[in-house]
Amino acid sequence: MTDHLGELAALYALGILEPDEQRAAEEHLTHCDACRRLLAQAEADVAAMAAAQPQLEPPGMLRAPQPALRAPMRNPMWLAVAAAVAIAVLPSGYLLQQNLAMHQSELMESQAMARLMTGPHRTVAFAGTDARVMYAPDGSWYCIIVRGASAPFHVMWSHDGTQTMLGTAMPHGDIALLYLPKSHRMDQLSLMQDGHVVGQAQLVF
Amino acid sequence: MRLAPGDEAFAAAFAAKERWAFDEAYTRFGKLLYSTAYHVLGSPEDAQDCVHDALTRVWRSPDSYLRSRGALRSFLTVCVRNEAITRLRSKVRRRKLEERVAAEPAENEELGAIDVIERDRLRAALRSLPPEQRRPLELAYFEYKTHVEIARELNEPLGTVKSRIALGLRKLGTALGASE
Repeated sequence: MTDHLGELAALYALGILEPDEQRAAEEHLTHCDACRRLLAQAEADVAAMAAAQPQLEPPGMLRAPQPALRAPMRNPMWLAVAAAVAIAVLPSGYLLQQNLAMHQSELMESQAMARLMTGPHRTVAFAGTDARVMYAPDGSWYCIIVRGASAPFHVMWSHDGTQTMLGTAMPHGDIALLYLPKSHRMDQLSLMQDGHVVGQAQLVF
Repeated sequence: MRLAPGDEAFAAAFAAKERWAFDEAYTRFGKLLYSTAYHVLGSPEDAQDCVHDALTRVWRSPDSYLRSRGALRSFLTVCVRNEAITRLRSKVRRRKLEERVAAEPAENEELGAIDVIERDRLRAALRSLPPEQRRPLELAYFEYKTHVEIARELNEPLGTVKSRIALGLRKLGTALGASE
């Protein structure tokens, strides 16, 4: 975005921009002081709205997570080491991973929803489970959904006497979901957990 | 014993990622941030998680908060609110997915878990706005609709909706005594 934010600053502060507009606004804000000031005012207005709603005491004491969080290191030489340590050792590294996983899962949900809402599709159950695969009649996408899942499920494609691992449906909330954009038809899918096949689906094209 | 620093020194320390400033943010703004998240999500546990995740993300991103962004309190409030809106939208999407899976007719309802417009100071201030500014701002703030969805719902041009929201927000901020 090369134009200044103008009225979009208010929409950005309210969190109601479309995702592509939001990304463009964020990019513009990295180098435009005038728009940062404009946004600061809009954020102050939204914060005033939030403060004017009834204020609630958090249940128990709301404290900063312990142990101490480490601020990001600015020396690039140390970044890789710091990231590795954070991911491998610190609980805060886990938090970061969790955030990344959450956003990835949101992206997958959005894509799946867009397909299911707009495109024609078929639905087949995985025999013996509460899981289903919804897929495009031309094989261009597949959406595997397991309800009531509390652990990950691996999804395999059986073809020509071999099994190809397609991905893992990770639980998020009450469902595990895997969205697969593909360019070919797959007529036999299996769900696996702990090394065992727990369900099979026969797709029809 | 550390003396309570002034706003400027505190914000500068937060921007410089001094650890004590992270703790201090919880002390100073915890109630506001928690309330902000709760009003969107309607669950104490989700609200707490949301505050922790939003603050952790801000803390871990280099240069996420610069002094030129204005008041730290406003910045963090908007970060937490946006995180809460993202979570709420995801929750709605998941529920719709489940409905699809269960082969039930999709319901176009919005999440009704929260009685959104409480009788509070905010509602009184909103009443002071002309209806053509109040309605789009209510849809944005309380129902988390994008400007495109609002324009569609109100059957108004997108540009008109953007202007009215921006104008309404500034007026409301002034009425509520917002200061940068």
